[in-house]
Amino acid sequence: MSVYRRGLVSRLVEGLRYGGGAGQWSWLLHRITGLGILLYLVVHIWDTFLVIFSPASYDAIMGFYGGKIHGVEYPLLRWAFRLGELGLFASVVFHAVNGLRVILFDLSPIRAVGAQKELFWAVVALFFFIMIPVTFIVIHALVAEPTPVAAAIVFPRNFVQAFVH
Amino acid sequence: MAVTARSRRVKPAGGFELAAWYFMRISGLFLVFLALGHLCIMHLIHNVESINYNFVSDRWTNPQTGYIWRLWDLTMVNLAILHGFNGLRQILEEWINRAKSRVVLRTGIWIFAGALLLLGNYAILMFVKDADYLKNRRDASSDAVTVRADVDRGASSRHPAAVPAFDVLK
Amino acid sequence: MSMRTLTVRIKRYVPERDRSPRWEEFKVEADPHDRVLDVIQKVKWDQDETIGLRRSCAHGVCGSDAMRINGVNRLACKVLIKSLPSDVLTLEPILGLPVIKDLIVDMKPFFDHYKSVLPYLINDDPPPTTERLQSPEERARFDDTTRCILCACCTAACPPFWGDNKYVGPAAIVNAHRFIFDSRDRGAAERLDILNDTEGVWRCRTVFNCTNACPREIKVTQAIQEVKQALLTGEVDTHSVVNIHQET
Ligand code: SF4
Ligand code: SF4
Ligand code: FES
Repeated sequence: MSVYRRGLVSRLVEGLRYGGGAGQWSWLLHRITGLGILLYLVVHIWDTFLVIFSPASYDAIMGFYGGKIHGVEYPLLRWAFRLGELGLFASVVFHAVNGLRVILFDLSPIRAVGAQKELFWAVVALFFFIMIPVTFIVIHALVAEPTPVAAAIVFPRNFVQAFVH
Repeated sequence: MAVTARSRRVKPAGGFELAAWYFMRISGLFLVFLALGHLCIMHLIHNVESINYNFVSDRWTNPQTGYIWRLWDLTMVNLAILHGFNGLRQILEEWINRAKSRVVLRTGIWIFAGALLLLGNYAILMFVKDADYLKNRRDASSDAVTVRADVDRGASSRHPAAVPAFDVLK
Repeated sequence: MSMRTLTVRIKRYVPERDRSPRWEEFKVEADPHDRVLDVIQKVKWDQDETIGLRRSCAHGVCGSDAMRINGVNRLACKVLIKSLPSDVLTLEPILGLPVIKDLIVDMKPFFDHYKSVLPYLINDDPPPTTERLQSPEERARFDDTTRCILCACCTAACPPFWGDNKYVGPAAIVNAHRFIFDSRDRGAAERLDILNDTEGVWRCRTVFNCTNACPREIKVTQAIQEVKQALLTGEVDTHSVVNIHQET
């Protein structure tokens, strides 16, 4: 008689439906942020390698990260990169703080493990404690020079400024 | 036989998974400071939009602080790649559990990680300032005053050169 | 309290009929003091006798009726209807083990892992003329992990186990802990060696699903962490009483 074995995808989906609570959520977030950071790390090593290989390409890439293509700024691109930057920051902060929580479990199998729910909330609190000022600084740098919002979404900044003046 | 001993020595543990587990903790602790510090310096104190070849070459070749930054970046890059790819290996091995597939997986991961380690270390260790490029760039930008002025204003007014307290962080 | 009308959703898999599991719904009148097990039996007796489930003691002792109740692993005989937040009751087989029929899973992989950690006393010292003595503190050291009933609620709740059923799993580690920290036992080194494997304790990612699922309220993750520490330090403390019941 045949038994039913779940496939890979089915197990992933079923697993997400499991009501695991705080522990399962932080485990999942730790993985997702970890994978995200790794992806960024790979890209970042490649682009930094350009400093030695081709300074001009390096500057072009850095300009691109700043939302500029051939010296012309595209606000939509710029915003996308800055929000991505915030996402990266949030990922690293969560991964770091939650990693400390995991290390505590290893150091203290009784006290820290017994307080796992409280430690989860401590991680959440510390995360926001760090991320609120960080968000403020990054967004502030982004909007310090006001651009006309609606137009800025579509047109390069030079183009907009030509009309606003 | 007497059973009074409080604790027993067992054969000292070893093995790859234990070492990997231990490495993740130690490197993680280092990276909390190195990576978060790096992010703060590059994204908060400076700004990604003001980072360019000029900035990086100054930072790595500064006679007083250049070595410190290179050492920092070197440690961070090596630990981060090993930490990251070992994490990836652990995640994938949870879902790919045929012995043969795992060998393929590990081989792939370590080759890729090794290549990145080479790139990262090479860039940091072998970097020399390309003065010609910087000079040409300056010349070129004075030719195209209108465009450059606008672009530079964006970067510089957001981050005026006058933040003397943080100059050392370059 | 008055009777409640429950909608019972059961994930059915009948190998002769289904290629993959599908949901079936039943309506049942249930007393709030009934347990989930009673409700399933009612459905089976009155509405569809083909429903497959495993049960025996009906009192949380034998560990045979572990299932996924409203998303989490529980023993059907230990969940009261009055504790349900809504009138919908979903029942599924536990995850990570092959489904034989409806709520019945193949426990063989689970017991194979259990056997792999040598869950019996190992002591080749010449037998003493009286008993092998043990102080109350030494007995208390591993008291928590003696209470396991091998229901698989923990192992089938463990995310690493869902992906990798070669992982020895929390239940096996709990039962290894029970002997590793027993002062009369001499097999600690051998068991630790087994648990040091790629598929041993290092697969545990401290998700705590196991601890939350255990119907015996065993501190599963704590036991696992103690085994990890023993592996790291190469030392097994068989004496210090470890708080066992003070924080619940
Ligand atoms: S604590 Fe470890 S064994 Fe328990 S569910 Fe989590 S990963 Fe699995
Ligand atoms: S540790 Fe708890 S959940 Fe796991 S098998 Fe034993 S009794 Fe069941
Ligand atoms: S039937 Fe025995 S534990 Fe539930």
